Amino acid sequence: MADEWGIALCLAGAQAEPEQLTALAGRAEAGGLDVVVLRDDEGGLDPWTTAAWLAGRTDRIQIGVPGALDGLTPAMAGKARESLGILAGTRVVTTEMAWEAVPAAAPEDVDRLIQEVGVRDRPRRPAAVRALRRDGIDYDGIPASLADVAIEPGDPGYRGHRSTYMRGGSPGLVLRPRTPAEVADALAFARRHRHLPLGLRSGGHGVSGRSTNDGGLIIDLGAMNEIRVLDEQRRIVRVGPGATWKQVAAVLDRYGWALGSGDYGGVGVGGLATAGGIGLLSREHGLTIDHLRAVEVVLADGTPVRASERENPDLLWAIRGAGANFGVATAFEFEVSEVGEVGWAQLVLVSPDIEQTLKQYGAVARTAPRDTTVFLGSGPAQPGQSVVQLYGIVDNPDPEVVVERLTPFASTGLLVQQRVVLTSYAQVMAEAADVGPDGHHSRGEPVSRSAFLPRLTDEFARDAARLLHSGEVYFFQLRHMGGAITDTPPSATAFAHRTPEFQLTVMGSDRDALNRAWDRLAHHFDGLYLSFETDPRPERLLDAFPPDVLTRLRTLKRRYDPGNLFRDNFNIDPEVQA
Amino acid sequence: MTDYGHDLLFGTFVTPGEKALDLTLTADRAGLDLVTFQDHPYQPAFLDTWTLLSYAAARTERVRLSGNVLNLPLRPPAVLARAAASLDILSGGRLELGLGAGAFGDSIAAMGGRHLTPAQGVDALAEGIGIIRDLWNVDARGRVDHQGTYYTVSGAKRGPRPAHDISIWVGAYKPRMLALTGALGDGWLPTMDYLPHGPASLPDANARIDEAAAGAGRSPAAVRRLMNFMQVGFSPTGRGLLDGPPAQWTDQLADLALTHGISAFIIGGDDHAVAERFAAEVAPAVRDLVKRERG
Repeated sequence: MADEWGIALCLAGAQAEPEQLTALAGRAEAGGLDVVVLRDDEGGLDPWTTAAWLAGRTDRIQIGVPGALDGLTPAMAGKARESLGILAGTRVVTTEMAWEAVPAAAPEDVDRLIQEVGVRDRPRRPAAVRALRRDGIDYDGIPASLADVAIEPGDPGYRGHRSTYMRGGSPGLVLRPRTPAEVADALAFARRHRHLPLGLRSGGHGVSGRSTNDGGLIIDLGAMNEIRVLDEQRRIVRVGPGATWKQVAAVLDRYGWALGSGDYGGVGVGGLATAGGIGLLSREHGLTIDHLRAVEVVLADGTPVRASERENPDLLWAIRGAGANFGVATAFEFEVSEVGEVGWAQLVLVSPDIEQTLKQYGAVARTAPRDTTVFLGSGPAQPGQSVVQLYGIVDNPDPEVVVERLTPFASTGLLVQQRVVLTSYAQVMAEAADVGPDGHHSRGEPVSRSAFLPRLTDEFARDAARLLHSGEVYFFQLRHMGGAITDTPPSATAFAHRTPEFQLTVMGSDRDALNRAWDRLAHHFDGLYLSFETDPRPERLLDAFPPDVLTRLRTLKRRYDPGNLFRDNFNIDPEVQA
Repeated sequence: MTDYGHDLLFGTFVTPGEKALDLTLTADRAGLDLVTFQDHPYQPAFLDTWTLLSYAAARTERVRLSGNVLNLPLRPPAVLARAAASLDILSGGRLELGLGAGAFGDSIAAMGGRHLTPAQGVDALAEGIGIIRDLWNVDARGRVDHQGTYYTVSGAKRGPRPAHDISIWVGAYKPRMLALTGALGDGWLPTMDYLPHGPASLPDANARIDEAAAGAGRSPAAVRRLMNFMQVGFSPTGRGLLDGPPAQWTDQLADLALTHGISAFIIGGDDHAVAERFAAEVAPAVRDLVKRERG
């Protein structure tokens, strides 16, 4: 006995009575049938065109068109199917399905079938949706606590959840827990699917963190976005992993507080707060993780634990720089800073000689006071002309001080555009666009390399200029470090790179070409910031963590995730003997 | 003065993105004659134009639809002929067929299509139009066999028969494409913004089409002249072609109709309000003015 019933319409001869075809499909839908199957016949109506037409004239009923689109290239056929899914929802299927379809040529045929089939419970996901399920996932075994909000490839919300800010993806299932207990349920499900990639997503901005994949699982923490002041006296704030830094900044602003994050408010809390957080307030207030006082984590085996200086201090140490290997953080407790009005500067310079500009920027940044953090961005260099963006914060409300601090930066090239305002950190974060329910729509895979630069030497400026002229890099960014970042000893957190002057990120489009160009610069570098690195070569792990840190992390990995469930982002394999 | 005497059509040129359906419904409601979609399947953010045309036709009652123009290298003519006839039947004769030779060869190849040189593209289009017309011609005897340089059709059954005489409108700019349009097309569908000298390019292009039509034993009036306009807007003071008050649009379009024989005006911009004003304030006025002048 089939689960789903419908009518079969023959496309030969239908051209004589096109209205009848549309009317029969409408009648089947009104009568509660599940599907209209179109039977192709030479010289009759084109199956795909007819399916798209009927989808436009109906609202819900599924349409089966076996063999449609066969005359097109696979890419064109895929595009057509995807497009109709967007326009009409997932209800048109071009393969044979186990439908019970009874031939119908007249309204009476449809009515008779409706009578026979009677009123039934319809499955939540019709066959057309189930047809898009991926192999190796026990969809029927999704924990009951998560089933109502889980998103499968054919679901209406899938397009808004499949891809991330920088990466296109096609996961087989997105689980969306709302509580630590539901996170534990999601992890139990993930443990039964060790054969599939597992991505953890907070804001979906991960570069190294693969928060989408092809055919695997995603645990999306977007719903866990609480922001709550716990102790106004001590400025302790509890934040969920799914909040964005823009949202955090807006809440803290009401108290005259701020917590430095990166340089973009759209980034989610979870990924950044478990990696580092080199941002626009770092030189005055330290990294984001330097403010982390406690974190609640669900471990790979589903156990909820709290880590602070008093409880599980080892785990707190590991989460602060290598968190992706140890668990799913479900809440962070930060001690935030009092931050008033700041100077927010965005300068555009044209440089006739990018090597010279880099040298000057290095010298100015090196001697800047702690209240000043200015990042440098650039792109492909043209002969005799590079465009450089300098943007940053002067944590001082006095306009004269702001101007004084920025003036040496502004003279590292020919200033062509400037915007300097006194504002709040929350307003700086608020410049990030909101991401609505439609989510991110990136495609492809980012190619990004990262390094710490102990010192911006003349030799580095020369080699970096060469890299920018090579055309292999479309994005080049120096994050200004030093200051308060160095106040925390390297051994205090798994993020150990406390002393570099800069963090450098480049992005290109050709992975091999970029790697070749980048590897030639390796002697300038000491380690890498794992958030911005996409090179999958295993030796990158040794760049992310110095040997003593890695040894300690591996010991902890054996304790907290011996089965290596968390492995999508700079995996520390517990099996490897140091 | 060149005027081929066709009735006037007013329409929109719509980006086949997620707002395309709403823009189509607006045009249908506003009383425009035509909604057309560009066709660049290799653009990740775009919908498949044929699927969109079929779905949009189902969601409208009155407006005529066309690709502007469909990418023939990615749409095999035998498949397209059957699909077009089917949609014409289902929609009650509301489909026209804008066709192009397909630019952006690398992108076409990325979608599995053939990478043709521009010259090959012209020849393939000529071959394709022949196949499409042959398959529509259900009154002819026998099946369709075609062993061409670019396409092979083996014993295909003809049909279905379109509900009306579907026009084939060709996107053409260069001399060989203009000649093909004159010889084989029912219409010429370029974009004003891409003509090398704007309206000043029209006399030469029209002459080439007329000449090719005559060479094929056809009347120049057999080829309707349509035109897309990408940069348009209503503004209180006149600033340029289709950038000014409605009265200025009216004068400019009437002049294009009477002087250069343009009889279909298709505006881009994906703007609901502009489309509604175009339908309400410009189209009737142009019709009146041209009718008066034609006498």
